[in-house]
Formats: sequence, C-alpha cells, structure tokens
Amino acid sequence: MITRRELLRKLGVGAAVTPFLGNLPSFANAAPPRQRLVIVFSPDGTVRENFWPTAAGSFTGPEGDAETAVELRPILAPLAPFKDRLLTLKGVGNKIRGDGDGHMRGIGCLLTGVELFPGNIQGGSDTPAGWSSGPSIDQEIAGFLQARPETATRFGSLEFGVLVPDRADTWTRMVYAGPNKPVAPVDDPYQMFARLYGNVKHRESLRSVLDEVHEDLARVSASLPVEDRRILAEHADLVRGFERELAAEREVSRHAVPVLEPGILEANDRMPTISRMQIDLLVAALAADFARVVTLQYTNSVGQPHMNWLGVDEGQHDLSHEPNSNVDAQEKLTRINTWYAGEVAHLAALLAATPEPGGDGSMLDHTTILWTNELGEGNSHTREDIPWVMIGGGLGFRTGRALEFPSVPHNRLLLSLAHAFGHTGLERFGNPDFCGDGALVLG
Amino acid sequence: MASSAVRALCASLVVVASWGMRPASADEHPGAVIYREHCLRCHGENGVGTPAASAPLVGDRSIGQLSRYVADTMPEDDPTAVTGEAAARVAEWIHERFYSAVARDRHRPPRVDLARLTVGQHKQAIADLVAGFLPPPPGPTPERGLRGEYFQGRDFNPARRVLERLDPAVGFDFGVEGPDPERFEPGRFAIRWQGSIVPEESGAHELIVRTEHAVRLLVNHSDWDGPPLIDAWVKSGNDTEYRGTIHLLAGRPHPLRLEFSKASQGVDNPVHEKPRRASIELLWRQPHGVVERVPGRNLVPQHSPATFVVTTPFPPDDRSIGYERGSTVSKEWLAAVEAAAVESAAAIRARAGRLAGVKSDAPDRGERLRGFADTFAERAFRRPLDPALRALVGHPFDELSDLDAALERSLLLALSSPRFLFREPPGPTDAGIAPWDTAARLSFGVWDSIPDEPLRAAAARGELATPDQVEASVRRMLGDRRARAKLRGFLLAWLRVDRPVEIAKDPTRHPGFDAAVIHDLRTSLRLFIDDILLPADGPADYRRLFTAGEVPLNGRLAPFYGVDLPARSDFVPVRLDDGHRAGILTHPYLMSVLAYPGESSPIHRGVFLTRGILGNVLKPPAEAVAPLAPDLHPGLSTRQRVTLQTSPAACQGCHAVINPLGFALEDFDAIGRFRGEIGSDSVGSYVPREGPEVHFEGANGLAAYLVTSADAEEAFLQSLFHALVRQPIRAWGPQTLPRLRQSFAAKGFDIREAVVDIMKVAAFPPVPPPLETTDDHAP
Repeated sequence: MITRRELLRKLGVGAAVTPFLGNLPSFANAAPPRQRLVIVFSPDGTVRENFWPTAAGSFTGPEGDAETAVELRPILAPLAPFKDRLLTLKGVGNKIRGDGDGHMRGIGCLLTGVELFPGNIQGGSDTPAGWSSGPSIDQEIAGFLQARPETATRFGSLEFGVLVPDRADTWTRMVYAGPNKPVAPVDDPYQMFARLYGNVKHRESLRSVLDEVHEDLARVSASLPVEDRRILAEHADLVRGFERELAAEREVSRHAVPVLEPGILEANDRMPTISRMQIDLLVAALAADFARVVTLQYTNSVGQPHMNWLGVDEGQHDLSHEPNSNVDAQEKLTRINTWYAGEVAHLAALLAATPEPGGDGSMLDHTTILWTNELGEGNSHTREDIPWVMIGGGLGFRTGRALEFPSVPHNRLLLSLAHAFGHTGLERFGNPDFCGDGALVLG
Repeated sequence: MASSAVRALCASLVVVASWGMRPASADEHPGAVIYREHCLRCHGENGVGTPAASAPLVGDRSIGQLSRYVADTMPEDDPTAVTGEAAARVAEWIHERFYSAVARDRHRPPRVDLARLTVGQHKQAIADLVAGFLPPPPGPTPERGLRGEYFQGRDFNPARRVLERLDPAVGFDFGVEGPDPERFEPGRFAIRWQGSIVPEESGAHELIVRTEHAVRLLVNHSDWDGPPLIDAWVKSGNDTEYRGTIHLLAGRPHPLRLEFSKASQGVDNPVHEKPRRASIELLWRQPHGVVERVPGRNLVPQHSPATFVVTTPFPPDDRSIGYERGSTVSKEWLAAVEAAAVESAAAIRARAGRLAGVKSDAPDRGERLRGFADTFAERAFRRPLDPALRALVGHPFDELSDLDAALERSLLLALSSPRFLFREPPGPTDAGIAPWDTAARLSFGVWDSIPDEPLRAAAARGELATPDQVEASVRRMLGDRRARAKLRGFLLAWLRVDRPVEIAKDPTRHPGFDAAVIHDLRTSLRLFIDDILLPADGPADYRRLFTAGEVPLNGRLAPFYGVDLPARSDFVPVRLDDGHRAGILTHPYLMSVLAYPGESSPIHRGVFLTRGILGNVLKPPAEAVAPLAPDLHPGLSTRQRVTLQTSPAACQGCHAVINPLGFALEDFDAIGRFRGEIGSDSVGSYVPREGPEVHFEGANGLAAYLVTSADAEEAFLQSLFHALVRQPIRAWGPQTLPRLRQSFAAKGFDIREAVVDIMKVAAFPPVPPPLETTDDHAP
C-alpha cells in the first residue's frame, strides 16, 4: 500500500502546497468534473484459462454477497483491492481483416478499428502492410476534448511507453493521429520529464544563473570607458526585468514536479523501475491536468521482454507461441501477465490515493484505466476475446462486473469510450461495417 | 535637359550631404544670424565656449525652456536685446545645432562603440562552440555530388555491395528492371547516398524525397540524435512524397544520408514482392526558394560532423546605416538570447558524453565535466579565464550534486554572460589579454564567429601583435568556408539583394517569368559572384564585377535571353549579346529587381548606382510620386517620360544625378534582356566627387568608367570594411579609406587582398578619445 507521505514524495509536492491538496478553492467546483482515460497496452495475448473470470456476474456478489461473487483468476488477482471498480469484457474482438499479419493488425487496428494500408512491411504471414488508415480512439477523444475550452489541456494527450524498441514499424505503433500518422510513445522517463517539466526546470536554472550574470556584468562594466557602459547598463536592466518575469511566472505555476531517480538506463532488466517511473510521471501529469487521455504501451506487439526478475529467462513472445499443453510456458506466461496486472494495480492505487484536484473523491473516481492487448491468445493469434479490463469511475460505467458478449466487434467498445466523454455525435468509428448496433451499453 | 548650373548645384548637394556640414548660405537659419550677432563672442563657434564663458553650451532644456531662458537672461549684458520671436529662433537653432543630446550625439566624433554579437554572429558562435569539441569538417574541395553505394538485397550488407560511384544529384528512375539487371534482382536492391549538404542561406530548409519505396533521410544528424528527418521506411498506402524541415547554416557542410530500399521490410520473405517501378528524387526548398532537385553544387561527397544550429527565432539586427550591427539591446533580443541559451545548454547536456569525451560511469566524470565547462566558457569568452571567472563558471558544480544539471547551468551562465554576448571593446587592456582580443576581432571580422584552435594558439604565443602576424592569420582564415560565406553575403548586401526581393512581372509581356525563373536568376547571380570571388585562377578582381561578359544560365533561363541550351541543362557561363553585358550592372536578376513589371526603371537603376555603387547620399523624395503611365504618353520613350516627370526644380536636386546614371542601362528591359542595339537613350553622365564630369554610352561605357572611379572604389571598400568590422570606418581616422584604396590599386584590385588590408587595420582599433564633459551647469 502507498502511504500518503510516499505519495507526496512521488508527486514531488512540496510542504508549501500540502495543505491545499484535496482542499482546493471552491470555485473549481464550478467546472464540470474531469473525466480521464488511461489505456494500458501489454503484448502477445494472455493465458485465457488464468485470466477470464469463470462466468459473467458480479465481483462483489449481488448485494455484496461474497458467496455468489465471481472470482478473480490468478492473473487479475493483483486487482482484488479494486473489485468494486473493476469491469471485464469478454467476447469483444478485433474483426479487422485486410493486409498485415495478426500481430500487426492486432496493435495497428486495436484502437483504430480500421484496416491497415497496403505497404512494404512483411509479417510472419499474410500480405505486407503499412500504417493504419485511420486515427485511434484516444486521439479522437483528445481532439474532441481539446476543441472545447472547458476540457482543453496543455497536451491533450500523452503517450507513454515502457521499453518500446527504437524502430518505427507497424508492430511498435498503437496510437495514430490520423491515416498514416503513427504517434511514437515516449519510453524514456527523462525525455517525458523534459517534455512535461523541461520549461519549468530550465527557467528555474535561468533564474539562478541570471543573478550571477548580474554580478559579472558589474565587473565587466567597470573596465569599460564611460560611453560604453550605457549599453551594458541597458542590458543589466533588461536582465533584471527578465528575472522579475521568471520570478512572477514561478509564483503562478507551482506544479508539483515529481522527483526521478537519476541515471536509469533503458535496459530489459530495468523494466520494473522504468515502469514505476513512467507511472509516477503519468499520475503527476494527470494531477496537473496536462492531459485527460493517456496511453501507456509496454514494449510492442511481438514484445519480447525477458522478465528475469520473475525468474523467467525466456522472451515473452517466444513463450507465447508455445502450445497450451506446455504447462511450464503457461505458468510463466501467467506470471508475466500477473506482473502487468500488478503494474496496472499500482497505477490504480496511486490514483485512488490521490484526492481529485478541485473535485470530490479520489482521482480514480474520475479516471478509467483500460488495460488491453493486441491478441486474445498468443499461440493461436486470435483476436477474438481480446482481454479488456477497466478500473475506475472516469467514464461512468457500472463497475464490479464481469461481462460477456456474443462475439461483438471492438469498434462498438471504442464508440462507448467516446460516448462516455460526451462525444455522442460519433456514430461510427473505424470500419463502419463493424459498428452495427452502435456503442456497447456499459452504464 | 538639366542645365549645367543645376547639375553642378545638385552634385555639390550630394557631395556635401555625404562628406560634411552644409556651409552657411543665404538661406541660413535666422537663429544662426542672431547667434552670430549676440552669442558668439562669449559662447564661441558651435557653443564650444570662450575664455568669457568657458563651459560648452550644452544641456537638456527643451526648445521652449531654452527660449524663455534666453529671452529672460541673454545676452547677460543686455537681456532685452534678444526676446520674443528672436529668442525662440535662436533657441531653436542652438538646440538643433549643438545644445541638445541628439545634436551632441550627431556631432560626436565617430568611435568604435561597444556592440553585442549580431544575430548571425551569435548563431555561428554557438555552432562553432559545439563544433570545437568535434572532429573538424572537411575543407573545401572541388568534388560535388554524393557517394552512392548500391547493394543487392534489401539492406546495406557490405558483403553485397556491388557498386560505388559519385552521383552528381539524386534523381533516378530505375523503371521496373532496376539500376542494372545484370547485377541486381529487379525486385530487391538498396542504395545509400552519403556526403554533406552545403546550403546557400541560413534558415529553415524543407527537404523532400519522392519515391514509391522505403526511404529514410538523415540531415545534420548525429548517431546520438533522435529520429531521422524523414522516416518512410514503412511504405504505407499511396504516399510517395515525404517532407521534413530543418535549420541549416549558410556555407557549412551538414552531413546527409539517404537510404533507399526496393523490397518489403519486416520479416525477410519476398513472397509478396511484385515487379514494380522504382524511382527516387531528393529535392529541397531553400528559405524563400522554390521546390527543386537539390543541385549537385550544394552536395559534397565527404562526410562532416553535424553542426549544432540554434532554432530560436531572433529579432532582426539594426541595419539603419547600411550594415548589420549589434548597437542596441532590447527585451525581445534578451528573451531570444536566453531561449537560445536554454536550447543550446540542453542540447549540449544531452551530448555531453561525446563532446566532453567522458563515459556516463567514469569515476572522474565530475572533474571532466567541470573541465569541459571551463573550456567551453574560455572559448565563449574568447580569453583565458582568470581565477574569478573560473570560480564563476565552476560554481554550479560546487552547488549541485547532479553533474548534468551542474553542467547545464554552467553552460547557461556562459551563454548568458556579457563576456560572450558583447564584442571585445577597444582600449587599453593588459598585455596578456590584447592578443586574445585581436584573435576575436579577426575571427568575427573574417568569419562572424569565434576564434578557432590555430587562432587561439597564435594568441597564446603572443603572435598577433603586429600587422604582419595578423596578415598571416587572415590569409589562412580566407581559405575557410566561413570566409567564403561571409564574402558572398557581403557582395549580395553590397548589391542590396542579400534578402530575396519580391519580383512580379507582367504576364502578358513576360510570359513564363515565374517564381522558378526568378529563383534561378538569383542562383545565376550567386554563381556569378562565386566566380568573381573564387575564379579558376588569378585574383578575385573587383573590376570583373563590372566587366565580366558572361552570365551563368541554365536550361530554364536560356530561352528568355535568346540562348539555345538543352531544357535540363545545369548552369553554364554564357557570353551574351555579343559582349554588351557588363557584369553585375546588366545581370538579369538585378535588372529585373530594378524595374517595373513591364517597363525598365531608370530611376531605380540610377538610385542603385548613385547610392550603392558610387556611395553618395540621397535624401528621400519630397513627396511620393507614382510613375507616369506609359500609355498616357505613347509617343515618349522611357527616358523621355522619366525626364518629363522629374523636370521640376524640386526633383532635379537629386534626379540630375540619378537619371543620367540610370539611363546608361536603358538598353536592358524589365527582365534584363538586351534590346538589340546601343541607342541614344543609353547615353549617361556623372559628376564625381573630385574631377570633371564624365560621359558614357551604354552599360559597357558605364562599366569602363566605374573600373576607374575613385568614388566606386571608396564606396566598395567602405562597404567591405563595414561588413567585416561592423564599426564605422571613420573611427579609424580620415586617412584610412584613402590608404586602403591606394593599396587596393597596388594589389590589382583583389578583393581578398582588400580583406587582408582591412583586417590589418581593424585588428588594432583606435583607443577612443576620453569622454567630453556633458555637465549641465551651463544652461
């Protein structure tokens, strides 16, 4: 569990602002409550047996009757503290056909719901393909929110990654700003930090530097003929003015700046550390309202982390191709997927422990985490029964339930996400043929 | 035509305005008369004072205040002698003439003022600060184009490289069968082009690649940088054109790598590969340019290290007196300086391992980074650090435990310091520092940038103390690309076309004269200038600027100027119009700039010659005048129309000089075509500042005069001095220009020799005279 003190340290909130946390001025209440969506991706399918609840129903039991409650299978066990805010959707599949192999269409159509363009990227099977031919739902929603002053934020959306390989191809990109416009996730926490806070940090450095510049200016000036001191005096005045500007700026933007452990190199073995650094940054960014739509992409489709910190030395993708009869592989894949669930649970815990800025309840009450995968199962490459897991109250869905659908296209789920943000004018998303009866009813 | 009397008057006006104060005359200010009568005996000429009233007559009263003061108290022995209107007139005259701060400033002797780096110098200095920690770029070479390597298979496996050659430019259509069916599978081959791109201008360049296949373009990119400028390795949908924008610095080589693969990527399995056409073209749009294939002349096959280019936009420098100088500071400028410092410090921090040559886990990393910061500051400040400065730039390392943050802060400090931002002032410095100041004067003069390693070494050895030692350094520096870029920029500025000029021509009279043609004409002018500055052999002869008979033309330009060239022909020097061409005077780009959409403009051409080439001062016209429309006077030639319109006496003051110069170019129309024969319309004349009036016929006649004209030589040398030194030449004393001119003639009018002469003078600026007293105890 996370202590309040630990949380404050992680969020970098200084003592000066602590009294205001969770107790912000009431004028903020006038604004409509914030809604947020965090989409988490992990690769290579799941272990169906150890993932899916045994039946549809309630995780807490009807009227809280624990006896009849649907049980969490081992992979979802880390999410037990959030049972009442949990929603699993079985029977929702990625039906997109066309060019590209299963993994490519798995990730490339996951959030776009539309075919890949023909192209030159040859997969392990099927015809070669290029990028997605449409935008992804997170970008669609972010665009909707940015177009309205009451929901517009500094970035609109943020794309986090963890150990995404340094190559741009169909397997490494999930988010699309539009047709042929893949958006690269930022998997270096320092780079993300610079993006979020670089300006604040730089301007702080400048402030400290300018003071010393000022002293040196006086020394330079003293060595000059009187006529030439005029331009230096003007320069000194400007420097003073600039310093005052920086100081004023600092007063109005006291964003909590998280503290990152320095010097963590991107490497397989550092995946747990990098994951936590990214989650810290993600929560801080949401708390500061830098964006309301965020994606967090672990590795890539065909991802191959070697989770030796779990005692698993093989690569995940290799293991995922083993038949279900390989008990050892199934057990290791279960451990791997349980680890991802643990990271999702950590994210949920941080959000649950942070009071909603300017609102009621916790940040988790105003955020929905959607954890998903490009495949239903690794060895069969099926895109039926994609593992969809939601936690939190951001989208107003009725939680605490395990739902089962009769094999519906995932385009309808993507529509539900948009509609939950009030983007109800969006009647079709991706390939219209798969939008049939409209958004799935989850409320 | 103007009578010779009018002509003489206006010549004297021009000369007077240019070279000194106007002498008193019949129409002098009434205040001057009153002053002479009542004030002069105590206050002296121009209020300098006499034994009777020794304090100079200067102060900060307004004209009104001064007028009341005079009316009430002056002259002391009879305060009623000057009152009312007379007091107001004399106060006005005194104020305007020598009393006010503005008047004092106007009359103060020219001096070398403390100035900040110009915007261009600032950018180049930062680029060179970073470059100083990297291997040196290749020197200028005659080779042009890119090194192309051709591979069998889909990638760049060295074992399967079957062809390497110099490709002058990238623009190939390999068809369906590929570059060579004997050696390549048509469906699977890869090509890599490498070398450097050398842009004409500084600024944002758009690079464009057109191809149906996988392609990647890296420009000014280091291994440790982010993604490529263009990454279309994933071919997707119907896109066949890819664009990226990048900032580049004029005249410097920036590394370029273009990778192309005709094959599917991803899993190596050609099962779905079909025979398809393969073509590739590398294009660009220069700042203010048009989209065109990157010309071979802007490509060199040698690799060069990436150049750090600041992208922060800056407010433009002051050019009110004809050359860019850092004479003022402003809020916007400071904000840009600090933003550029942040941009640079962050970028250098990210590359610190490479630049400082220290690994991230080195045990002595702190010491090494601190040493790097020291060296950085030393080069930015252009002098060795004394203990106080060393402590200043090292301070962040004492204060912060995060070494990278400390480095960044130290760099910010250096780039925000007046020691970096301001040029070295003249005046007594201690003998240890003097050679460093000289080194910086030379490098900013010849390159607009900081000293390089050999210059620093010369300064450290005290070898920049005499003009001869300076000469040796300048000769070396002239071989550098930065010197070429600076001289090229100077000549464009001297011709008043350093920034591209808006040109629009009448589409019915000059059909097809579009943006691409104008862009090519500008290129032609650049090539012409390059040929003057760097001829195949011989000196960079200034006189050829006026006499060279050849114009570089390409396939697109040729038909406009009556020349037969293949449509795709690159630029070749063409001798046009049977020798009636006179260098820059008749270059079609300048002729087009100095003309109306459909008609020539003798006035624009005349003003250009009067001011730019002959260095005379012209006042702006009393009122803005629209040119007479040709169709209202169908019977008149352009010359006759211009003469008619400028005939009033108010116009003749200047137009008596302007028109006869502009008329000399009347044989060339609005797009610079020769009209066929030398006619009476192109008879011209000029009254030099010294000596009798000269007459000439046509452009060749004008050129023959200009190559012997003292006025033109002085104007040219003065412009060159200002472009190099960015300080007024008169601060070096009235004899400097005549001496430079003497030497110019003695050395065969070699422009590069003039640079050497100028830098020998400019390296040792005069110590400014002590400050005049401006105490306000006088009224």
